[in-house]
Amino acid sequence: MGRTASAVIAIVFAVLLQSALVNRLPLPWGVGPDLVVLVVTALALRATPSAGALAGFTAGLAMDVMPPAEHEIGRYALVLGVAGYMVGSLRDTSWRSGLWPYGVAAMAVFGVALGYAFVGAILADPRVSLSSTLTLGGLSVVMTMLVSPLVLTPMLKVMRRLNRDRFGPIGEAPWIEGVLR
Amino acid sequence: MLRDTSRSRLLLGVLIVLSIALIVLDSREGGHPVTAAARSAGSAVFMPAAKSVSTVAEPVTGFYETLAAAPDARRRIAELRERNTELSRQLAARDNDEGRMRQLRTLLNLSGRGGYTIVPAHAVTRLTVQGYGDTVTLDVGHADGVRSNMTVVNGQGLVGRVVKVSQHTSTLLLITDTGSSVGARLEGSKEIGMITGRSHTVGKESMLGFELMDATASVSKGERIVTLGSYRQVPFVPGVPVGTVDHVEDTPGALTRTAKVIPAVDFSRLDIVGVVVEGPATDPRDSLLPPKPEEPTRPTSEPSAEPGVQASASPEADSAERSPRQTESEQDPSASPSEPARRQD
Repeated sequence: MGRTASAVIAIVFAVLLQSALVNRLPLPWGVGPDLVVLVVTALALRATPSAGALAGFTAGLAMDVMPPAEHEIGRYALVLGVAGYMVGSLRDTSWRSGLWPYGVAAMAVFGVALGYAFVGAILADPRVSLSSTLTLGGLSVVMTMLVSPLVLTPMLKVMRRLNRDRFGPIGEAPWIEGVLR
Repeated sequence: MLRDTSRSRLLLGVLIVLSIALIVLDSREGGHPVTAAARSAGSAVFMPAAKSVSTVAEPVTGFYETLAAAPDARRRIAELRERNTELSRQLAARDNDEGRMRQLRTLLNLSGRGGYTIVPAHAVTRLTVQGYGDTVTLDVGHADGVRSNMTVVNGQGLVGRVVKVSQHTSTLLLITDTGSSVGARLEGSKEIGMITGRSHTVGKESMLGFELMDATASVSKGERIVTLGSYRQVPFVPGVPVGTVDHVEDTPGALTRTAKVIPAVDFSRLDIVGVVVEGPATDPRDSLLPPKPEEPTRPTSEPSAEPGVQASASPEADSAERSPRQTESEQDPSASPSEPARRQD
């Protein structure tokens, strides 16, 4: 169960790093990179949709209970769970390049921002407005993509190594990687 | 291309329902025990993690904060540096002003005690063209009432006399100049003589020399010298401290006795001086001399040597000082040998 253990470790590490370090940095515009979305994206890219959804839900729930408690528990878990499920579903796209994970991660970050704002709008969160959502979502994408090579590249490498030891899921044939990557 | 099964859809549905249930529970008024417990557990995990991250990342965050503040910091540094320069300049100016004020106070003190009317002046430059004449430029001139041959004093004593006057500046010949000679007497109106400048005389380290008219007069180290006063107080007013006898030179067979004199004025630090535009109505005698130092430097126990008893000065010395011949003698040193005979008492 090396993959599960490494996924749990990655999520715990990401959540702690995000809440204890990144969210406390005095960053310009008050928006920091979202390491948790990056980790969930990386995990879900190499997993089944249900595993991605589970990973996203767990990570989101962990982020929800971490201080500061400025939103309801479950909000981030809901959004991240759906995001993990969707990224996990996207895995088998036939055209893949080296930049594919980064594009997915950017989409995921923006989607998470939109979804979070959407849930907030449903819950009548007074802080949510269209302009602030778009601004903060765009900034979040920029900041996250700036640090994404530091997170995605090593994670994908480690997970590919773990996959190689086992029988990879159907569709992740080594020759495809060898030809197209 | 989406690859999902009914099982994974079911899981997603369960997760979504679970999330919504949590949201609903947590958004209720006052929260719910389950979510409260979850939050406290989150805090329990968060606090040590945050603390350790803070400990580990303190240099990093410090560096980051430095970076974030860098554009502002440069401007701030420039601002502070400018302010620092300005403040130190102000401080230096204030120190300078305090020094000047002190000098001016001693000068006014001296002129007040002596009854002189002075024009305060600032010693602008020290003119030593070709290294000869010991002269100083003052920032007062004809417009301020300064005329040539006026006495110049500062708080400590005699500085020199005015030799050249223009509209707004004047030239001061220091008494240390080799061409300067001043009629003077020892304190207590004992002996009269002549102060000559020695600043450029080879082989004599003292700046002033005192030539006594009387070759047999007793003079010893530590006795102080004041000006004698010239005829109509031009160029020298009476009673200004000149210096202290440092060393009496043995000159056997000579007509006069000479002594080395330490000037009362520190000529290397001239700043505020006063031009005496009007002399005193009466001779201040020795009253301008500062109190004598405690050490018994004078072997001769002359009671009239004390600064407080200048009123008991002998009348013949007074009359001698005011005689026109005295003025001639200080203007022309060659006329001096006639004086000691007359001054014997």
